[in-house]
Amino acid sequence: MSGGVDSSVAAALLVEAGHEVVGVTMKTFCYTDVPGHPRSCCGMEGIDDARSVAHVLGIPHYVFDVEDEFTHDVIDDFVAEYARGRTPNPCVRCNAYTKFRDLLARGRALECDAIASGHYVRIEHGPTGSVLRRGLDPAKDQAYFLWGLPREMLPSLLFPLGELTKREVRERARALGLRTADKAESQEICFVPTGDYRDLLRRKLGPTHPALEPGKVVNLRGEQIGEHRGYAGFTIGQRRGLGGGHPDPLYVLEIRPETRTVVVGPRVELFHDAVDAAELNWLAAPPEIGMRVNVQLRYRAPKVPARIRAAGSTLSVTLDEAQPAITPGQSIVVCEGDRVLGGGRISASFRTSRRTPPSPSALRV
Amino acid sequence: MDPLYLDHAATTPVRPEVRESMARCLGEAFGNPSSSHRWGRAARVTLDEARRQVAAVLGATPGEIHFVRGGTESDNLAIFGRAARARTEGRSPRIAVSAVEHPAVLRAAEAATAPGGAPVILSVDRTGALDMDALDRALLEGLDVVSVMWVNNEVGTALPVREVAERVRAAGSVFHSDAVQAVGTLTVRVDQLPVDLLTLTGHKIYGPKGTGILFVRRGVSLEPLLRGGGQEGGIRPGTEDVAGAVGFAEALRLTVAEQEREHQRLSALRDDLERRLRSAVSGVRVHGEDGPRAPHISSLGISGVDGASLVMALDMEGIGVSGGSACASGSTRPSHVIEAMYGSDGTWAALRFSLGRTTTDDDVRRAADATARVVARLRDDG
Repeated sequence: MSGGVDSSVAAALLVEAGHEVVGVTMKTFCYTDVPGHPRSCCGMEGIDDARSVAHVLGIPHYVFDVEDEFTHDVIDDFVAEYARGRTPNPCVRCNAYTKFRDLLARGRALECDAIASGHYVRIEHGPTGSVLRRGLDPAKDQAYFLWGLPREMLPSLLFPLGELTKREVRERARALGLRTADKAESQEICFVPTGDYRDLLRRKLGPTHPALEPGKVVNLRGEQIGEHRGYAGFTIGQRRGLGGGHPDPLYVLEIRPETRTVVVGPRVELFHDAVDAAELNWLAAPPEIGMRVNVQLRYRAPKVPARIRAAGSTLSVTLDEAQPAITPGQSIVVCEGDRVLGGGRISASFRTSRRTPPSPSALRV
Repeated sequence: MDPLYLDHAATTPVRPEVRESMARCLGEAFGNPSSSHRWGRAARVTLDEARRQVAAVLGATPGEIHFVRGGTESDNLAIFGRAARARTEGRSPRIAVSAVEHPAVLRAAEAATAPGGAPVILSVDRTGALDMDALDRALLEGLDVVSVMWVNNEVGTALPVREVAERVRAAGSVFHSDAVQAVGTLTVRVDQLPVDLLTLTGHKIYGPKGTGILFVRRGVSLEPLLRGGGQEGGIRPGTEDVAGAVGFAEALRLTVAEQEREHQRLSALRDDLERRLRSAVSGVRVHGEDGPRAPHISSLGISGVDGASLVMALDMEGIGVSGGSACASGSTRPSHVIEAMYGSDGTWAALRFSLGRTTTDDDVRRAADATARVVARLRDDG
């Protein structure tokens, strides 16, 4: 229970269904350690809101301190990825490594049979195994965050919100009189309450790390057209922070950490139709070569049709239509229909389409 | 089955006699004790009576009793009050504290000596004995205040306050003791032990939260933390909480009257609890058992289990105990007290049972049985 409306309603639905429910909030991060940050910030309020909702529901509530694991698995990875010129997905890491694994272990100690969360996905438990499916509300589907779950954990999971829309969830919360019913969605990363992750990078990497040092901004021909103040401030597809004075809008196409160079170019160059991924995880049998699937490349991006080209230690897919700003470090989620097969971390993307001839600079990122 | 509260060292329920005395006061003596009219006089008389009552119980004079708003404030007033006094005399304050003090003393001592200084930390062994040589060395160099708690709140060990008090007195320094966990089970009298500053709080002795006192022996000078009117001898300005003072005084009177009987009764219950747990659970140690202890606290180390899970699982069984010290969010962190006594060894989970005036033989049996059951289950899962 994060203290948000989704997990509050998930808990309420389980109580209503007659389960014996124990509410848990994971304390991932010590909010009082942020210099100059008020004590009562989002995270602490989240714990207080969750405790209050649990009290209304008449269930116990505990705080699991996972700060050490979270720092190691999520924050350190987040920092390392930016230092490598990539754009991490900390919420995916947290769900895959910290949150569910720890919940299950400690939940067993409390004699719990299953772990539930307020994610908008569905799970079906059958005699041949458990199948994870996308949430029915396409606007809220959160399979993107869960592709990294250990497969052996699936039989122990429950997702009570998978068939509901956000509007229905808020209505349920209001009907139950939960104080979280109209709480705004959290958009920020929980351990970056100031919203500026570069503060965190400066603290963790030291202000003189190459990722935070000035470097060149170059165009596709390799000509310097400006200077930036640290490549860790950029992600693929970004427009802001490049300075003005250019006749056409420019987008970040590639980050080259070894030379601290940020490559920019016109929007058309952002479109790639082949994706490679590593650090794969499968929630079903791995897909076979030639298989038709659909993939999701960013949270809230549409799923797009694709074909598997390789699925061994790395995954390669070809997209039917090129997509913009495919970003190393972000996730690719592979589905067959609405069944979630698994996913990985994007390592590279290319352009192969015959319709748009490959550019000479062969955008390998 | 009814839930079973065994966390009396965290706080206690307000006893009915105390609630009644406070309700009466809130109704009849609402006036400001500083006012010269009849309403003011009524409040003043009520407050003075509470102060006399506290002084009588502790063997002090009424002028030495200062009502404050709890134990943390009292500790801070003692430490900062002495440090500020040193600074007004143009000296950097020098403070010595035991390693197992409550954070209200430890953090205050750190802040009061900063910047540029740090408190002398007196180490403590497994029996609760204090490094007296270190104390003597520090006293030779001059100290503005020495703070050593009477009974440790996490493990229940009784620290050698008499010996410390005598040495501090002989060296001409000032001795403060946080006796929050001692009063009610041990004899705490300032006419029988040369303590200069003494901290008590109401909510550990079946009184209201937000109440407490700082005893300041006549002749010991302190600077106030807050500035305002001249209430409480000028060291704690602010319109007095008369009902809180009355509730505190009543709680103290009743608790001390029962002290001798409770000491015997709780000692027997605690010994029974520890005997049962040791026979039912392997890998158990009793923190501080080789030294003197207050009878209401039993702190156990249990090997091979997660402390947080243990406390949660016992809560699920309806039994309220505590693990390490709690932080604001409700999660638990390793204890500086157990680390000071036993070193940092992450394989032992700390579990604190603290008994109270309503705890019975049956309660102790039930707690021991449940703990044995839960530990066995957690070890199986691990």
